[in-house]
Amino acid sequence: MPGSLTQKPQGVLRDGWTADVQDYALVCDWAAGGGVLLVGDASSTLSCLDGKSGGLLWKQGDVHGGGLLTLAVHPNGKILASSGQDGEVVFWSVADGDKLRTIKVSKSWVEHLSWSPEGSSLAVACSRTALALDPHGSEKWRSEDHPSTVSAIAWSGEKELATACYGSVNFYEIEKKTVSQKLEWQGSLVSMALSPDGEIVACGSQDNSVHFWRRSTSEDAMMSGYSAKPSSLSFDHSGVLLATGGGERVTVWSFDGDGPEGTVPGELELHSESITCLSFAPRGMRLASGSKDGSLAIWSLNRDGHGGATGAVLTFESISALKWRPDGRAIAATSSQGSVTSWRIAR
Amino acid sequence: MSSYEKVPVTILTGFLGSGKTTLLNRILTEEHGKRIAVIENEFGEVGIDQGLVINADEEVFEMSNGCICCTVRGDLIRVLGNLMKRRDKFDYVLVETTGLADPGPVAQTFFMDDEIKDEFSLDGIVTLVDAAHIDQQLGRSDESSEQVAFADVLVVNKSDLVSDESLDQLESRLREMNRMAKILRTERGNVPVDTVLNLSAFDLDQALEKRPTFLEPEYPFEWTGVYWLSAGRYELSLQEGPDPNMSLVVLANQSTEEESLHEGAEWCVRQFAESPQPLRPTEVVPLNKHVDLQLETEGQKSFFLEIEQPMFVGLFAQHTAEEFDIKLFAKTGESLPLSAERTWVAQHEHDDEVTSIAIERDGDVDIQQLNDWLNQLLAEKGVDIFRLKGFISIADDPRRFVFQGVHMLIDSQPERLWGEMPRKNQLVFIGRNLDEEAITAGFDRCLVH
Repeated sequence: MPGSLTQKPQGVLRDGWTADVQDYALVCDWAAGGGVLLVGDASSTLSCLDGKSGGLLWKQGDVHGGGLLTLAVHPNGKILASSGQDGEVVFWSVADGDKLRTIKVSKSWVEHLSWSPEGSSLAVACSRTALALDPHGSEKWRSEDHPSTVSAIAWSGEKELATACYGSVNFYEIEKKTVSQKLEWQGSLVSMALSPDGEIVACGSQDNSVHFWRRSTSEDAMMSGYSAKPSSLSFDHSGVLLATGGGERVTVWSFDGDGPEGTVPGELELHSESITCLSFAPRGMRLASGSKDGSLAIWSLNRDGHGGATGAVLTFESISALKWRPDGRAIAATSSQGSVTSWRIAR
Repeated sequence: MSSYEKVPVTILTGFLGSGKTTLLNRILTEEHGKRIAVIENEFGEVGIDQGLVINADEEVFEMSNGCICCTVRGDLIRVLGNLMKRRDKFDYVLVETTGLADPGPVAQTFFMDDEIKDEFSLDGIVTLVDAAHIDQQLGRSDESSEQVAFADVLVVNKSDLVSDESLDQLESRLREMNRMAKILRTERGNVPVDTVLNLSAFDLDQALEKRPTFLEPEYPFEWTGVYWLSAGRYELSLQEGPDPNMSLVVLANQSTEEESLHEGAEWCVRQFAESPQPLRPTEVVPLNKHVDLQLETEGQKSFFLEIEQPMFVGLFAQHTAEEFDIKLFAKTGESLPLSAERTWVAQHEHDDEVTSIAIERDGDVDIQQLNDWLNQLLAEKGVDIFRLKGFISIADDPRRFVFQGVHMLIDSQPERLWGEMPRKNQLVFIGRNLDEEAITAGFDRCLVH
């Protein structure tokens, strides 16, 4: 167990590589089975880094007018989608950075992208609408206008998409073009996570609470008491644990047995400033958390949500995104100053 | 927060047609050395090739607790959240709202959301007013009075389209609603950019410097004229004026210095609280007594003063000398010159629901009592209190504290050391249907005696 935060990685975290991109790194994703890491930054540049060394493989500048907002790698690891303030979605070849296709989907910001688990659709959120593109960029479906901007999207299956906005979570059958469920709650939902079986929907709300629903019964519950709005949420691969970050602490709810209602959540304390990102490892109950204070921690958790830090490191730049390599043996973190680091993770 | 400065934000509000777009374009084209990111409303039409113009949807989000003080602009949180990551590209943010917007949620966004609060600071709210139409708009919609009430700067635009007299009336109406704002008159949005940007609007010092009458109490009289009179009988003449009567106190031994005028005014305030003695024309005005001159008859009216020994007398009149062409004549028929003259901030009739209350008190407050009082006041009346600003002198603390609030949200910060400055408290409340007496009394209970 790491005693205090140091610049030298402790516990299960081991030195890997570090690279730099042009500007504030906004988002990253592994591709080609962990062979490369793609990074998008605030200067609207895409960088493709070698997964083993961090060396730059290719770079594309000015990819979106006004600024790049997000990116998503197709499950096959070969196609990258990016989107930006210009209302466009662009498909890129991961191998060489060639632009494959530009799709103008809207005149407003395209803020969220998400590939369906098997990659048959790319969900896109722009302003009050959500839509689905096929892997060639053709539009398959478009939602009616939501009452407010879509703040989060997530797939509950290959053909069903969930959208969150002010006041509700909506489920859409993409192929049938129908609304399959609507869960309402008056509040501004800022983040969303679905359990892997799609049964539990959890949303962070602007009023410093986490709201969740069980889809089969439409039962809902609210977890309050956060010191800040829970803007990052993550379910573990088994769907037992939900990690939530609002403020400096990570709060972990366990859906084991009758929980989490009436149970005491795990409270993980190490960071001195707000949590910026949370992500469970692809397998096991290992959680990674990053904070504005530049610290990154790896936690080992029990089924009840309690546990402790097994690895930690202190960088000096606010952590902006975290991504586990698909094999769970490394984790990449990007920072507000444009550095990108991959740490190895010991078993 | 220490390693860097927060980015200042100006909110630009005003009804449709008040000239927001013109002013915005002017701000963006003028050479002022600032890189401004503009967040326009969805109907925005800034016609400029400017790197950072972002359209926002004005999504007002209420929270589940239903409290209006918790409503925020969701779109602003997203847009500003994104701008934060590109801080090196701009150094100022301007948010334009639609004419129908309630400024509350916009302002509250900068208090309510922690991430926004850490990176941005509300520099000021600038409200454009269309001189020709605002009178009607104020009567018709809550939004327009709220936009006036929230303002740090009121730009009275299109002032060339109305007479000076109606501008004066409008200005006095606006002043009544919002005593804190700086009022600028302009034609075609033509105001210097530095009068609307970088206001540090919460710097009340500046406001006090510019308008010494800012926190001055209101008096039941508008004018004082001081005359030197030797023993004898004098004629006080009044022409036809705006009212059929006028309250007056003629104060004996009123000297001409400012300090003495204030003392006289304080004394007369108490006299004015007594019910007046009605006086018909040709009657003699008693000294040091509240009288009510009856002026219904047509043409010139004359009253008389009888002075037994030489002295200065002060006429404390409900209206200014101009309004009734007030003159004092000696027996010889010679008009007497004024030795001193002063106008006062008069109490106005409160025909607008939105008003301001100003409190100014010397000495220190007990911080615990102040917090308790403010918490209770805002819990009960927060919905009606739009803004609150001021300086507070906290007992046993060498620093001056700045308070500012929007609805129920209050922020207080130590600002600078009192040093040689006299320690005092100055607070302004702007809101709807405020109970001035109760609020003033509440504050007085927080003072340390």
